[in-house]
Amino acid sequence: MIDYEAIVIGAGNGGLAAAAALARGGARVLVLERHNIPGGCATSFCRGRFEFEVSLHQLSGLGRPEFPGPLRGLLQNLGVLSKLEFVEMENLFRFIVPDKVDLTLPANRAGIIRVLLERFPDEKGGIERFFDLVYRFFQEVISAFYLRDPEVTPEKYPLYFQYAFRDSQSVIDEYFRDPYLKLTVAGYWGYMGLPPRLLAFSDLAALLFAYIEFKPWHLKGGSQALSNAMAAAVLDAGGEIRFSCGAERIVTRDGAVQAVVTDRGEEITTRYVVSNASAVATFAGLLDDGEKRKEALKEVRGAVVGTSFLTLYTGLRCPPGDVSITETTNFICTSTDMDRDFALCRTLDVSEPPLIISCYDVSDPDFSPEGTCQAAIVTMKYAEPWLRVPPEEYAAEKYRSAETILRRIEPHFPGFTANIEEMEVATPITHMRYLGHPGGSPYGFEQHVKDSTLFRNPKPPVKGLYGTGAWYGMPGYQPTLTSGAAAARAILREMSRKENAR
Amino acid sequence: MRPDILTKIEGYDRVVRERETCRKYGTDFSVERGAVEEYVRRLHPDRMHLKVAEIIEETPSAKTFRLVSPNGPLPPFQAGQYVCVYCDIGSVRTGRPYSLSSPPGHRGYYDITVKAVEDGFVSDHLLNDIRRGDILETSGPEGHFHFNPILHDRALVLLAGGSGVTPFMSMIRESLESGLERTFWLFHGDREPGEAMFREELERLAARFTNLRYIPVIENPSPGYGGACGYITADLIRREIGDAAGKTFFICGPGEMYRFCIPEILSLEVPAGKIRREVFGPPKSISRSPGWPVEVREDDRFIVSVKGGKSIPAKAGEPLLVALERGGIVIPSLCRSGECSQCRLKLLAGRVYQPEGTPVRRSDRQHGYIHSCAAYPLEDLEILL
Ligand SMILES: Cc1cc2nc3c(=O)[nH]c(=O)nc-3n(C[C@H](O)[C@H](O)[C@H](O)COP(=O)(O)OP(=O)(O)OC[C@H]3O[C@@H](n4cnc5c(N)ncnc54)[C@H](O)[C@@H]3O)c2cc1C
Ligand SMILES: Cc1cc2nc3c(=O)[nH]c(=O)nc-3n(C[C@H](O)[C@H](O)[C@H](O)COP(=O)(O)OP(=O)(O)OC[C@H]3O[C@@H](n4cnc5c(N)ncnc54)[C@H](O)[C@@H]3O)c2cc1C
Ligand code: FES
Repeated sequence: MIDYEAIVIGAGNGGLAAAAALARGGARVLVLERHNIPGGCATSFCRGRFEFEVSLHQLSGLGRPEFPGPLRGLLQNLGVLSKLEFVEMENLFRFIVPDKVDLTLPANRAGIIRVLLERFPDEKGGIERFFDLVYRFFQEVISAFYLRDPEVTPEKYPLYFQYAFRDSQSVIDEYFRDPYLKLTVAGYWGYMGLPPRLLAFSDLAALLFAYIEFKPWHLKGGSQALSNAMAAAVLDAGGEIRFSCGAERIVTRDGAVQAVVTDRGEEITTRYVVSNASAVATFAGLLDDGEKRKEALKEVRGAVVGTSFLTLYTGLRCPPGDVSITETTNFICTSTDMDRDFALCRTLDVSEPPLIISCYDVSDPDFSPEGTCQAAIVTMKYAEPWLRVPPEEYAAEKYRSAETILRRIEPHFPGFTANIEEMEVATPITHMRYLGHPGGSPYGFEQHVKDSTLFRNPKPPVKGLYGTGAWYGMPGYQPTLTSGAAAARAILREMSRKENAR
Repeated sequence: MRPDILTKIEGYDRVVRERETCRKYGTDFSVERGAVEEYVRRLHPDRMHLKVAEIIEETPSAKTFRLVSPNGPLPPFQAGQYVCVYCDIGSVRTGRPYSLSSPPGHRGYYDITVKAVEDGFVSDHLLNDIRRGDILETSGPEGHFHFNPILHDRALVLLAGGSGVTPFMSMIRESLESGLERTFWLFHGDREPGEAMFREELERLAARFTNLRYIPVIENPSPGYGGACGYITADLIRREIGDAAGKTFFICGPGEMYRFCIPEILSLEVPAGKIRREVFGPPKSISRSPGWPVEVREDDRFIVSVKGGKSIPAKAGEPLLVALERGGIVIPSLCRSGECSQCRLKLLAGRVYQPEGTPVRRSDRQHGYIHSCAAYPLEDLEILL
């Protein structure tokens, strides 16, 4: 008899969603997680009286109960929706370019247009037409793909066929003149890790549409609450989870999954493996079959390992208002050259590239202990420059980065630095350590259209081996959770097909 | 996506060409095998096997173990951090954290300085059984009790109790060796004058460097002892440091010391945020902690059953982690002070006492997770590992 019908490697969003869906679908499932806590990126850590949120800034795709987005249904199916308390954010973000722009975009279409018009009155036509394009484009996506129209043709869906492969920059250039307006509208590019020149218009449109229609959200208890709820759903449905236990090898025979060997040397038999470890670790490190390894790695050969982050986690001994923080999500940009900003992600420099400052306590006053607040300040960074820092200078380099970042935000949030009680700096190396991903990339590969699932061979190279998470699709909470549920569905379908064939 | 749709999207040919070109000149990811782990190990090894190169007798009751790595430079650390030393004693596998007392500039060796304690277990083993040439298994350097140039003043008031002086030795040695711009006042409380470790070195350094003031404070002095006596009080601190403004306080020692010294420091009008405290292991007597239920006595005994595993006996007065280790169940541990969550496990049934302020994540609390090194059984328990 086999030990488990399915083994899930890694308890990130994708792994946990897959495990919960498998267990609830009746499969005997085991999760192996290297770390002592579930979540991967979706976790928190404690310093002094603060519990720092690691990664969740804005949850997308949830929607209100009366106007649910796709994520709401997904969480319902995973059995965790009722266990979670969500906090809606009123605004998308406050956008600051020192001395040039300071505006806050509300999370509704009319409001955004109103705010943009106030600052950029000369661009009225472009602003209205742009959001019209975003909406009409996305409505076509919904009818064609979400509602599964059997007949998807250029005649029926002209915008889709025209814009799906366009880059965001050329579209923005077509609609706007003022570089600051372009910068503001493309403000979310950091959430995809690519500047507008390289970012598909469909991805930028999806981000804008999802956050406007379904609002940005946060969670009471942070992302750890979600991870713990999914872990509980796995256990409640009879699944098992082993923490502090990594997978070391995926054993195959004749091109099919046979077992997983743990880092304690135990071999556990199974027919299905869902890997939430990176595609690189899974195929280059875990997979034992040399031929299949080559085949799988050929698929991703042209891809580039995506960006990681430098995050400054700060716990302040005062409420947000005392240091003039008025919005949950804030972006600070210094230049209008987004390509240059992107190039800076490959350096250690933090004196210029965009910063994201999230202060959860603005929308959820009891996120941190009474009378305090926490803010996470994030900037994109690839691992390479950090890998070149000599180990003995690593800590000093962290402090140097933190100091520069604090100097940049101080003018906008006066008193910020003096009020810091606890702080921690996470670098791409930190992400490598806690996730085990190459480049410490929580985003997987760079999100170019050519590497998207549209062009990938959907068939797993090894029978029974499925991937889930950012490395196998798109980054972010909603996409990774969706990918986990999809992997589980495919396995359950396969299992019942085999069952019926007997 | 269905090819008939894909091929009709404007720009399809361009994307396909791009894909082909990138594949042609792309990366062979097979060479990445193990690369992340190898790099991370250099900074944050999970486990190290270090050789005891030298044993230095510091006082009759304390020894320094100089540890070297057989495989190249040791991971850097920040002065004030600790390593956990893991060992097998009889049939028990356990570990204890020890602050590194050597300065961080040297990547050739780590020093830990171990002091005997009453009814010691690991300390006895280290002090009595370990010889030069033996191998010690340790964690990588860990902990948050270190200087932060952004948050802390350059003027530092250090309060040590007993072996709590070890992290400060690392900080002081680092600063004086590399000429960092820092000023220290070190108050070192100990029972007898002969027990104060590093006394000679500290007196020598204090005589030579104007930015170090060393104030040993002896609890039970012999008649005629000339130095400071009793406890480290607000009065004594004020006399030595003058104005407390613009100074950051670091405190490291046994739990009782924190209870006494922190109110003393606060009475000098030092803001709470300017006092950094090192974590400390289980107190001598947990039942004297605030919130301990009166009806439970420390030697009350309970049964802990591990779901899908065995049942073991446990004492109310001892951390659950220790009971598990005594019962032959090994679970990961590092700080053994409630801080790092390595020893996290799920409580399925029964109640435990968790000292106030133990940093357990909010949603962990809601889902019944506890840090077993800082959880004391109050009745029979069922747990999930
Ligand atoms: C700073 C930051 C901010 C972010 N902000 C947002 C945001 O606002 N909104 C949003 O939607 N997304 C955000 N993201 C992105 C999002 O968090 C990630 O894309 C997503 O969580 C990735 O999930 P995943 O399923 O790919 O798994 P990961 O989180 O990458 O987890 C992988 C898991 O696998 C485990 N593992 C790896 N190898 C092994 C092995 N061999 N054996 C056992 N276990 C193994 C790891 O320990 C880890 O737990 C952010 C990310 C970061 C870092
Ligand atoms: C961050 C940190 C840094 C520290 N740095 C230093 C340092 O630099 N120098 C230093 O000297 N100390 C240091 N300590 C203290 C050190 O970790 C130990 O607590 C100390 O050495 C005493 O350990 P012990 O095992 O001898 O005594 P205890 O931990 O007091 O040992 C008794 C414990 O062992 C249990 N026990 C007894 N017999 C058994 C058995 N048969 N099986 C299982 N358990 C048993 C007892 O129930 C009791 O819980 C530090 C502590 C912390 C938290
Ligand atoms: S070992 Fe660190 S919390 Fe228990």
